[in-house]
Amino acid sequence: VNRSPAMRLLPTLPRPRGNVWIGLLVGAVVVVALAIFPQLVKKPYAINMGAMLFLAIIMGQAWNVIGGYAGQYSVGHAAYFGAGAYTTMMLLELNQIAPWWGIWAGMVNGVLVSLVIGTITFRLRGPYFVLASISMAEILRYGFLYFRNATKGAEGFVVSKMPKLEAFGATFSLLDKRTFYYATLVLALVAILVNWLVQRSKLGYYFQAIREDQDAAHSLGINPTFYKSAALAISAALTALAGGIQAMLLKVITPDGVFGIDLSVQVVLICIIGGIGTILGPVIGAALLIPLAEMLRNPRGLAQIGLVSADSGFVQFIEAHLSNAHLLVYGILVVIVILFAPDGILGVIRRIAARLRRRRASGQPAANPAGA
Amino acid sequence: MAFLQAVLNGILVGGVYALIGIGLTLIFGVMRVINFAHGELLMLGMYVTWILFDGTVIGLPWLHLSPFMAVLVVIPLLFLWGAFLQKVFINRVLNALPQNQILLTIGLGLIMSNAVLLRFTADYRILTGWKAADGSDWASSTFELLGLSLSKVNSISFLIAVAITVALYLFLIKTDTGQAIRATAQDRDAAQLMGINVKRMSVLSFGIGSALAGTAGALTLTTYYAYPYVGSVFNLKAFVIVVLGGMGSIIGATLGGILVGVTESLTGMVDSGLKEIVVFALFLALLLFKPSGLLGKSRM
Repeated sequence: VNRSPAMRLLPTLPRPRGNVWIGLLVGAVVVVALAIFPQLVKKPYAINMGAMLFLAIIMGQAWNVIGGYAGQYSVGHAAYFGAGAYTTMMLLELNQIAPWWGIWAGMVNGVLVSLVIGTITFRLRGPYFVLASISMAEILRYGFLYFRNATKGAEGFVVSKMPKLEAFGATFSLLDKRTFYYATLVLALVAILVNWLVQRSKLGYYFQAIREDQDAAHSLGINPTFYKSAALAISAALTALAGGIQAMLLKVITPDGVFGIDLSVQVVLICIIGGIGTILGPVIGAALLIPLAEMLRNPRGLAQIGLVSADSGFVQFIEAHLSNAHLLVYGILVVIVILFAPDGILGVIRRIAARLRRRRASGQPAANPAGA
Repeated sequence: MAFLQAVLNGILVGGVYALIGIGLTLIFGVMRVINFAHGELLMLGMYVTWILFDGTVIGLPWLHLSPFMAVLVVIPLLFLWGAFLQKVFINRVLNALPQNQILLTIGLGLIMSNAVLLRFTADYRILTGWKAADGSDWASSTFELLGLSLSKVNSISFLIAVAITVALYLFLIKTDTGQAIRATAQDRDAAQLMGINVKRMSVLSFGIGSALAGTAGALTLTTYYAYPYVGSVFNLKAFVIVVLGGMGSIIGATLGGILVGVTESLTGMVDSGLKEIVVFALFLALLLFKPSGLLGKSRM
């Protein structure tokens, strides 16, 4: 009866279902295609968008752990993103510590911040938790704006000199977007793997039990505060990592940019629109929203990769009427999803697939009555 | 004396904050929905007021309607807009997960702020050249009361806010419709069994709530500037006010508004950069030690 807690948390390896191998095969093909992509398309716009997309997948997967599995709708994930971004940036600018070490320090800091925030906010439930999570991120934002001596206030930090990484007998320039493309691609795969492990481990079942009914889970011996904190720590670690990398990719950070409520909302929307509590959901959500947002923000980039010509009516229309309003599209999408497809796009796909399967199954008994 | 002055200034600003809080708490009380688009409704009120003052947008450049008069236009406009939002969107998710309700209102807020951004750009809008009849600058004129110097604009805004609050109290307490709204807030199912049309009460409440937010926007524009994302500033402030007073309690929201106004004003005496931090710290402390708010019942 006395099993150690560590033993209970080890993932129980799943028995693969029939279509798992097909899924893995498709996934592998996609990954290989994405890995070759920068060699074929050398335009920085496309590479940059790829890196932003992978970062969004990391953040979406991170939020999924706490929001999707543990059911705690944090709208304050900017706190962890900002913790990662500022740690990495300040270590580089003030202590000359290279970012490939700094991001791990940022990750640790993100987890520490999550433990503090978790202790404060997990005593609250439902809407009160949402409000508390927002205000924690806002306190950090105002704090970073206020304590100018330490944080340079609203001005923020800019990378002044980016070191070169020498490893495996090669030199990687952190000014080259391709370095970020590959780094974020690998980390996005790691984030997906983390979600997969969480979903299929006992830890994940505890999270889901808390999501479904916290009091019932508690009465069955699951310590809600402990497991919610664990979910938040995993989530914060990945989010802080994304923050550190994005700070290095964009090379400039400000409190409003990395601690802003827009960022927290955007992460939640990626998951909601894709499908909450699923592994593919955040991937679909990010794959839909990020290119759309980048396209609306800078339609000339499409011309750069040769999809449309720079003086076409399409580019001119977007520049004249829709630039700076990518959030409008987010807003419309989230309203449509909540009203008509609360399970997200993945939910819609699954429903259609199930209907097709049923139709195929119901077609058979007509030919073979014994089959029913 | 400086202390008294700061408290008084805080109370004047707090009166307008109370309007924001009362709208949000009314919506929460009746629908049990936290309206994350409340700040955006306030922003719309600001823009309507600015349009009526500036006039060029509607082809009447000579208009220069005073924001205090604009309230009379803002109230019906925002009421209709709020009722529309409730009827078309919010009514459909009343039985959905609270998270989905929150996200729906966030989405509606994004649509409102970005539609305004598209139409009016991100420029800051203020009431440029708003002069009193004798040609003096409205926004900076003051008057003396018992040795304290008070801003004229803030005092008039406060009086308007008080008048509207009192009218709302009377409506909720004295009229049949007001009682029906309060009954719906108390127990939705029981109210329905008593023959109250709860959907209609919801539409009415959301309309009143957004009219109050719009009015607060009109009054805020007298001393503040409007821009498309200004809503998020007031969203957070509205949450603080409502949680301080206790979600769903109208008297609590009135108190919460005044309390936030005074806290901001007093912190501003020390260091205006600390205002928000102190207000949020107060908010968190309250969430932790008395999540039901000063006057609310426990709803953890």
